[in-house]
Amino acid sequence: MKRILLLRGAELVVFAFLATIPLLVVNPYALGLLTLLAIYGILLIGLDVTVGYLGQVNLAHVAFLGLGAYAAGLVVTKLGLGMVPALLAATLVGLVLGGLLALPALRLEGPQFALATLSFAALSTTALNELEALTGGAQGLSLSRPPILGHALTPPLFYWLCMVLLAVVWMLMRNLLASQWGRAFEALRDSPIATDAMGVGTYKHKVAAFALGSSLGGLAGGLYAFNFQYLQPQSFTYDLMIILLLGVVLGGRKSLWGAFVGATVIVLLPNLLSNRLLFQIFSGLGFAGALAAGVQGLVKKTTRPFQALAPVVAMGLLVVGGLFVENTEDWRKAIFALMLFSVVVGLPEGIMGFLALFLAKLFRVPHAPLPEPADLDTLLPVRPADGSALLVLDDLKRYFGGVKAVDGLTMTVRAGTIHGLIGPNGSGKSTVVNVISGLYTPTAGTMQLRGVPLPIGSLYSVAQAGVARTFQNLQLFGELTALENVLVALKGVYRNPLPMVLLGLARREERAAQAQALALLELIGLREQALVKAKDLTYGAQRFLEIARALARKPDLLILDEPAAGLAHPDVLQQIEFIQRIHQRGITIILIEHHMDVVSELCDTVTVLDGGRIIAEGTPDEVKRHPKVVEAYLGQPPQPELPGGAEPLPA
Amino acid sequence: MNAQIIGQMAVSGALMGLVYALIAYGFQLTFATSKSINFGQGELVMISAFFSLTLTNLGFPYWAMVPGGLLFGALMGLVVERAGVRLALEQKSEGWILLSIIIGLFFFSAAENIWGRDDRPFPTPISADPIHILGVDVTRLELSVAVGVFAIMGLIELFKRRTLLGKAFEAVSADRDAAELMGISSTRTVMLSYGLSGSVAALAGILVSPITTVGPTMASALILKAFSVAVVAGLDSGFGVVLVGMFLGALESLASFYLGSGWREAPGLILLILALALRPNGVFGKATIRKV
Repeated sequence: MKRILLLRGAELVVFAFLATIPLLVVNPYALGLLTLLAIYGILLIGLDVTVGYLGQVNLAHVAFLGLGAYAAGLVVTKLGLGMVPALLAATLVGLVLGGLLALPALRLEGPQFALATLSFAALSTTALNELEALTGGAQGLSLSRPPILGHALTPPLFYWLCMVLLAVVWMLMRNLLASQWGRAFEALRDSPIATDAMGVGTYKHKVAAFALGSSLGGLAGGLYAFNFQYLQPQSFTYDLMIILLLGVVLGGRKSLWGAFVGATVIVLLPNLLSNRLLFQIFSGLGFAGALAAGVQGLVKKTTRPFQALAPVVAMGLLVVGGLFVENTEDWRKAIFALMLFSVVVGLPEGIMGFLALFLAKLFRVPHAPLPEPADLDTLLPVRPADGSALLVLDDLKRYFGGVKAVDGLTMTVRAGTIHGLIGPNGSGKSTVVNVISGLYTPTAGTMQLRGVPLPIGSLYSVAQAGVARTFQNLQLFGELTALENVLVALKGVYRNPLPMVLLGLARREERAAQAQALALLELIGLREQALVKAKDLTYGAQRFLEIARALARKPDLLILDEPAAGLAHPDVLQQIEFIQRIHQRGITIILIEHHMDVVSELCDTVTVLDGGRIIAEGTPDEVKRHPKVVEAYLGQPPQPELPGGAEPLPA
Repeated sequence: MNAQIIGQMAVSGALMGLVYALIAYGFQLTFATSKSINFGQGELVMISAFFSLTLTNLGFPYWAMVPGGLLFGALMGLVVERAGVRLALEQKSEGWILLSIIIGLFFFSAAENIWGRDDRPFPTPISADPIHILGVDVTRLELSVAVGVFAIMGLIELFKRRTLLGKAFEAVSADRDAAELMGISSTRTVMLSYGLSGSVAALAGILVSPITTVGPTMASALILKAFSVAVVAGLDSGFGVVLVGMFLGALESLASFYLGSGWREAPGLILLILALALRPNGVFGKATIRKV
């Protein structure tokens, strides 16, 4: 409660203060700056969705600002409509074009995504410049601010409009980003493969996030148009994009307050640059800050030398440059570059990230209490182990070029059993798992789950069909807590439509989901660590968490890909116990494992692969004695008739 | 008559395209060793060209100016690697995208203030008189672009195949971890690749400037096309960039002729988005198998 009061209270105080300013101060210049602050606030909240939550370098946001501005301008000048339709059109243009751009950019990560967005931005500048009949080209487009509901918009009224919109956007985004949607965005950033494998469509969420962020860019563009009442294509270029990135990174990613702080910085920058004294004071402060942080980091050895020194050098350049350069305006890009560089290297969490830590210490805000775990019997009802055929693989093949990784696998997994899949390295176990779970498309053969063909070549569809898997090389969502990792995958709880989520009416659902996720964490002994980030868990706990997350899919078939790999002995014993607990609930398990003791302890049936083919199948004991298995693992025994019998064993 | 104009445009466009191919080749060099590229490579081309112009104005002859420019480019490449790329690679993050953009911005601003905002001519001893070959006119200047591009690409490929250092480069490209285990410092190899990439960028600047003039804004015009070439061909496509570069150059020159010069960037950008959507590994790139 205290936490909610503090957070909401701070929001209320700031917005109330901002709302009363026009009543107290009658300074058109200050009012203009504050109006810009609101517009940039909306713009940066949108940019933060892609840059912060999706974790992608998005260079197209400035294009959506421009396209939104022109859309609003054209609706007013060419169609003669009012402000409300104009703002709606601006938002819609951002939404639709953002969605369209996200479609091809969808499969792209990192540099390719940045490139796709960069070319889109360049293309839209070209279009705005060249479609002269519509946009007026380089001549620009003049428009006037139409009245809203019959009222002429004086500067204070327009300011209030912008502030109200910022407050609305703020509220909606706060609700959305705290919901399953926001978690899915972050999960996507940390591991797209696992996001798909957990039945959360990467497709849907990436497009949604990008379209949403872009629509806010469009809305900000509409307000921008009515603020300046004159538009030029060259206002929306790469330079502005860099400044916007500066705002988000400096303010702090993944934070509404960060976007607000960033917007403040952007609005104040021109003043900072035109006033030499102010510039020197701020660059001096920056230098002192970088120096203090750098020295502290070096002494405590929390940062690398480069991370400590580079910001000091960059800020030092700023201070020294400020003494010699005649006109700071001429060097504005270099100044932005040095500031951004210092922040990216030295303060990656941004101002708000830093402040949030500080404030959390100051106020000792506890996390909102978690609900009691849900009842496991309702969550994962015990299913009868009837031994019927659950998964049937028939003559399954997967070739990579000339390599026959899986070469004609026919296997039946029976309901309620633990089916071991073992074999030497390179025998094709992992490929089988990847084909079943949809990461790879089979070269030939069929797969049926309960007599129904299993979807092929789509992690997402296979997950939807009731198969869950873990990963040999952990694919956790590192920046999310253990609880959130499970919540992302949780099936069958989140039913409220997007509008309800946006309005913050989905809290009950969220509590129910938390209760279920906690029950699953309790099952694998991680309830106490529910609020620890996945990347900060011990290696063993991370392995357990992978299983809890897969269980959140409430699967018919659970595929465990080497769940004991790299675990210390006590952890292996625990792992065996957890798998038995899951087995007792009647969930069918395919277990890929190297530890023979784990396999013997757990499995009902074991299939042994070598060279992509089955060489033995049976109970663990039968398989262990099977001559071909012994040969595959230990090599050919020395032939007695050969003199000396000194054939070396393969390693 | 019309066919001749088209042929003429296509040929001069394709020769310009070789410059994009050369810059794209610079991306390939760093991508091979570190899976990173310098988003500020255009600025590197630009400041190296300005630096070479200064050398020329100081009275250095052409044969001395070129190595000087290449050395400067290599140095700037190393600056980018040290300040922008190394930390991100150590942290296995994609921070290098933003940092290399930032460093490019700094170079841009520095160039604006040191050399001015205006485009300036770049004197060269190579003549701009047309020669008539196979029905089209080509200038010696344009031919010098082709010669320079093929010469440096050939030299670097020879270096990679024939020298021990070059083989270390190939080893790190093939498998960074395995190369480290064999005692090859991947950090130094990445440095080497950024140095080479910087030289390549500098040469691109020296070759293109006599034709287009030198100015701060040349960076953004060149970089987008080089990106398009690199991505459409594939970042590990080797000489694929040459074909795609020439194709894009020709296409662009035709587009500006038929649609108007404002649209000359459009085909490259559309091609880039299409290529990213349809063949993210490029036309000549190798498809990678996702492993988990």
